[in-house]
Amino acid sequence: MLFKIAWRNIWRNKTRSIVVIAAVAAGLFAGMFMMAFFGGVVKQEVETAVQTQLAHIQIHHPLFPEDKGLDYAIPNGMELLQQLQTNPVYKGVSGRVITTGMISSAADAAGVEIQGIDPETEQSVSNVFSFIKEGAYFTAGKKNEIVVGQKLADKLRLILHGKVVLTVLDRDGNLTAGSFRIAGIFRSNYSTFDATTVFIRREESAALLHTGDQIHEIALLLKNGDQSDQQARQLAKQYPGLLVQSWKALSPEMAMLSSMFDQIMYIIIGIILLALMFGIINTMLMAVLERQREFGVMMAIGMNKVRIFLMIVLETVLLTCAGIPLGILFTITAVEYSHRYGIDLSGFSKGLSQYGIGNLIYPELQTNMLLPIIAMTAITALLASLYPAKIALKYKPATAIHKM
Amino acid sequence: MSNVIETIHLTKVYNPETIPVYAVNDVSLQIAEGEFTALVGPSGSGKTTLLNLIGGLDNPTEGTIRVSGVDITTMPENKLIDFRLQHIGFVFQSYNLIPVLTAAENVELVMLLQQKTKKERELRTKELLEEVGLADKMHCRPSELSGGQQQRVAVARALASKPRFILADEPTANLDSKSAENLLEIMERLNKEEQVTFIFSTHDPRVIEKGKRVITLVDGKIVSDTQS
Repeated sequence: MLFKIAWRNIWRNKTRSIVVIAAVAAGLFAGMFMMAFFGGVVKQEVETAVQTQLAHIQIHHPLFPEDKGLDYAIPNGMELLQQLQTNPVYKGVSGRVITTGMISSAADAAGVEIQGIDPETEQSVSNVFSFIKEGAYFTAGKKNEIVVGQKLADKLRLILHGKVVLTVLDRDGNLTAGSFRIAGIFRSNYSTFDATTVFIRREESAALLHTGDQIHEIALLLKNGDQSDQQARQLAKQYPGLLVQSWKALSPEMAMLSSMFDQIMYIIIGIILLALMFGIINTMLMAVLERQREFGVMMAIGMNKVRIFLMIVLETVLLTCAGIPLGILFTITAVEYSHRYGIDLSGFSKGLSQYGIGNLIYPELQTNMLLPIIAMTAITALLASLYPAKIALKYKPATAIHKM
Repeated sequence: MSNVIETIHLTKVYNPETIPVYAVNDVSLQIAEGEFTALVGPSGSGKTTLLNLIGGLDNPTEGTIRVSGVDITTMPENKLIDFRLQHIGFVFQSYNLIPVLTAAENVELVMLLQQKTKKERELRTKELLEEVGLADKMHCRPSELSGGQQQRVAVARALASKPRFILADEPTANLDSKSAENLLEIMERLNKEEQVTFIFSTHDPRVIEKGKRVITLVDGKIVSDTQS
C-alpha cells in the first residue's frame, strides 16, 4: 500500500514530476554521454599509441632505454624474434634497429629517431603503413628508401622521391652518412611522432650502423590486447636477462590517463547528481508542505513515523528512478549514432593530433559503468528524501489536520 | 455501562508564557460505552481542542485522560499512534480522505496498518461501505465523490479498526442539509444497532438535537451537560 500511495502521489502533479524526471534523465544523459565521449577519446589515444608506436609489448636489452646505445642490442635477437613469431598468442612480431641521427635536406636539418624495420613484419605490429598519404610504404626491389612523416616533410620541405641524408654515429663511434630517397610520406594521428620518426629498411640500417644482424627492439602485438600485462610478466619470467615491458610500463602517462578516466568520470557524474539532488529536494519539499493535512490525517488514523518516513523516501526514490531508464535510453541512442558516424572535431585537429587523437571521435559507452551510475542515482534520491521526510515527521497531527 | 473516556481536570493552555489562552479549562467528564454525545458551543469554545486531547492528537497542559482505563497523557508518541490505531476512530470536518486512494483503499488502509489479513480486510471493507450505502462507489477516488459521500467513507474508515469510540469534529460542517441528515442517520443507526460510541462536536442546531447527551462548552469550560 505504501508503494501504491507513493507511486500515485508522484502523478498528482504531473507537470512537476515530469520536470524532475526529465531533469534526472537529462543529467544522466549529460554525464553518461560525456563519459562515452571521453571514453572514446581515451580509447583512441591508447589505440594510437599502441598501434602506431608502442605495440602491446616491447623487448629490449635492460640498458637500452637509458641511452639507446647501439651496443645494447638484444642478445641473440634474431633467434628470439623467430621464436616469438611462431607463437600463436601474437598477432604480429617485428624486430627493429633503433638509433638517433640527423636528417638533412637541401632546405633544413632535424634530429630524428631512425627505425630500421622489416616492412612486411612491421605491418603486423604497426599501422604506420595505413597512414601513407603520398607514395608507398617502401617499394619492392628498390634500395635506400626512407618513409617520413608529413610534419617532418613540411619542416624540411621534402617532396616524394626527393633525396635526404641521414647522419649517424655507427657502432664504432664514427660519424657516417647515407643518402635515401623518400618512398612515402605518412600522417598519423600523432603529430609529434610524425615529426620525429623515420623508417628505413633494417638491412640498410645495419649496413649504415655496422650492426650486422643485431636488433634493439622486438615489438609484439597481441591478439587479445587486454592480456598485455599478463603476457609481459610471462615473457619476463621466461627471459630474465631481458627487459620486457607492456605498453602501460612503456607509457605510464597513458596508462594513468586510462585508469584515472573512470574516477574522473565518477566525480563529474557525482557533481551532476549533487546539482540534481537540490532540485529533487525542492520538489519533494513542496510536495510535503502541500500535503500537511494529509500527513496529519495519516498520523491521526494510526500511521506511525517509520511508515511516513518510508513513504516519502519511496516517493522520492521512485520519482528519481523513473528518470534513469529514460536517461539510459537517450544515452544509448545518442552513443550508438555517434559511434557509427563519429563526432567531427576537425576544427580542433591541430591540437588533437598532438595527443594522438583523430578528427573523428567515436564515443563508446562502458556498460560496466551503468550499474554504479544507477546505484549513485538511487543513493542521490535516498539522500534527497531525508530532509523532506524529516520535515514531515515534525508535523503534529492536531495542527496539521487543520492546515488547508 | 463502563466509561470509555474519562478526563480529570483537563486543561490546555496556548501561549502559557506570553498571553495564556485557556482552550480547555479544568474539564472533568466521563463518557460511557454506547453514548451518542454532542459537544456544542460557539466557535473558539474549545470543542476541537477537547476532541484532539481525548483522541491523543494533542498533549494537555494539565490533567489526565483515561481511555478504557488507560492513561494516555503519559504515553510516548509512538505508542500513542498505535493506541489510536487500535482504539480510536476519527472523522474530521472534510477533505480527510487520502486523495490518491479509492474509497475501498481508504477504508482498507487502517486495517492494513493493523496488519489484518487480505481476506479479512476485503470482507470488512465491503461490509462497511455497504453499511454506509457506498458499495457501488468502492473504486471511486475522493475527487469523484460528493462531500457527503466522502464523509460516509470517513465514517466507514473510522469503523474499520473496530475502535472503542469515534471522535467526529464537526462532521457535517461542510455538508448540505440532506447530506448532513443522511450522515447523522448512519451514525445514529451504528450507535443504536452496533453500540458504537460517538462523540461529535457541532454548532449546528439540527445536529445538536440528535445528540442523546449534549455537553456545552464556553471558553473551555463545561457549562452544561444534559442527557435526553
